[in-house]
Amino acid sequence: MSYRYAEEHTPPEPQRASDVAITTFDHLYEVDPRLMQEWVTQQTFPNWDTLRIMHSRHDHLDWMHEHFAHKVIHGSELLPEDQVPHSPGEVST
Amino acid sequence: MTLTTERVDSVVEALRGVLRDDQILTSKTDRWNRARVPAPFPVHRWAERLPDLAVLPETTEDVAAVVRIANELLVPVVPRDGGTGLTDGAVPLRGGIVVDVKRMNAIHEIDVLNRTCTVGTGINMLKLNEELAKHGLIYPDDPASYPCSLVGGRIGTSGWSLIGARYGHTRDLVLSFDHVLPTGEVLHVGDGIGHKITKSSSGYQLKHLFMGHQGTLGIATRATLKLFPKPEAELSPFWAFDNYDDAYACAGDLARAGVATFAGAVLFDEAKVAYLRRDDEAYIPQPADVRALVCAVMYGYEDEVRPAGRRLLRIARSHGGRYLGDEISEGDWAARHDRYATPLHGRTKAGQVVPMSWHCEDAAINFTDLPAVSREWHEIVAALRRQSDVFDDWGMFAYTSSDNGTDWLTEIDVGIWEQQLDDHAWALWVQAKRDLAAVSLKYHGSISACHGSCREGEVDLVPQELGRGFDVMLDLKRTLDPRNIMNPGKYHLDRAYS
Repeated sequence: MSYRYAEEHTPPEPQRASDVAITTFDHLYEVDPRLMQEWVTQQTFPNWDTLRIMHSRHDHLDWMHEHFAHKVIHGSELLPEDQVPHSPGEVST
Repeated sequence: MTLTTERVDSVVEALRGVLRDDQILTSKTDRWNRARVPAPFPVHRWAERLPDLAVLPETTEDVAAVVRIANELLVPVVPRDGGTGLTDGAVPLRGGIVVDVKRMNAIHEIDVLNRTCTVGTGINMLKLNEELAKHGLIYPDDPASYPCSLVGGRIGTSGWSLIGARYGHTRDLVLSFDHVLPTGEVLHVGDGIGHKITKSSSGYQLKHLFMGHQGTLGIATRATLKLFPKPEAELSPFWAFDNYDDAYACAGDLARAGVATFAGAVLFDEAKVAYLRRDDEAYIPQPADVRALVCAVMYGYEDEVRPAGRRLLRIARSHGGRYLGDEISEGDWAARHDRYATPLHGRTKAGQVVPMSWHCEDAAINFTDLPAVSREWHEIVAALRRQSDVFDDWGMFAYTSSDNGTDWLTEIDVGIWEQQLDDHAWALWVQAKRDLAAVSLKYHGSISACHGSCREGEVDLVPQELGRGFDVMLDLKRTLDPRNIMNPGKYHLDRAYS
């Protein structure tokens, strides 16, 4: 978390992710603000809270895996190397 | 609210003879919070669905005493467990007493050698499994409401489990239970009279009669459940397809493969992928040729799951399935245990974000009829959306129900903007529910694989689905609940008394 208030309220410059979504931090997507003008308006979050929410989601999913089984086998372990996707948005060939 | 203040006072006075004051709730907050379930409902008519009071029994004897008083005073009784059901079973339609069983949440016994546990029906599966894990065991009843639904509600609903293809559904996992009849009598039902018997041929199979009745035949209070070793390993690969037909064919082959550790498969149609690509961070970055998805999940020992996984990966590849990667595969699967925690929003036709609640249709459909049902259901919801921004089509899933791919829980998710519901929009929705149910029956399916079918609209077609069986339901209801006090107004069972 940054020491300065202003830094916490300055997210990375948004990049367009799709017709209806933008991205700021890595792996973090938001609805295009133009679509949140009328009925639901966007809230302002400090960066630390935005990232906390994202990481909490991952913590929750990890917890759920451990709850249902002692170990998760990754599908990639069972695939030939040339069929393993290496980044989000990439699917195996 | 159906009772006059004087009558409520007399009911409370009678209840004070069997319960402590802190077990009797009459405040507005206590009553309004027990008036609805998560399924979208006409919030502008919320006040019509209020109970007159709620009680918090702690024992079977408490429940029986409350029901006897209700019989004597002719007051409706509505059982309520987690209140997570999607067919309004726990919603009071005639006021009366809501019997909230959450305090009956004790673990009475864990029988490691016979692989059973006995619990109060107010316990939640997640909390139960935290305790069972200490013994290396699991109770694998796994609905989308897993963290918040309760064992008793699962019995009253005869629920469906996400991993039922491996472990069975609620009807298979609940071995027996104590049950308070609408008259206040208590009986124990299971296979035969056994508490821990998985198969008996002695007498009628009454256990199934007292499951899935949506609270119209009484209240389960203590249940004996079937346990399994907590799985050593989990594998949940997701595959992308560039068209629905290939994904559909793949899902069928995965389910029919006969792999012993196979716990389920899920088919996402093109509308579902389009919805996810709009609003789900995992799917927003997917390439445009990802148009349909399939996942499969396996549980078991690692030396079983690895070769089984390779077999299913080969099957998926033979259909053109492309592995989506570990992060999505594992993250999406874990999220499926907890769909009620997902914040939801929909879109107006102009694209603006609006808050919406989630309706989930859940017919049981044979594999060969899935494409036709999907097509007809989407047409029904598209017609709704053309008429009103209150409704948004969020696409369809099909989930395996059995371990051989016979029938699939077929789900269309519809966003409903509850705050904008009025009588007109609600009437449109109720007719759509009838139309959706009619499609299920047209293809010889069942209206509901999981939730039950007693919501407005769909319930009108239950007599058609059950035929002569519906008359038997009426006969049973009249026999077991002669004064019609147990959850009246549900399933058109009032006809038993006309």
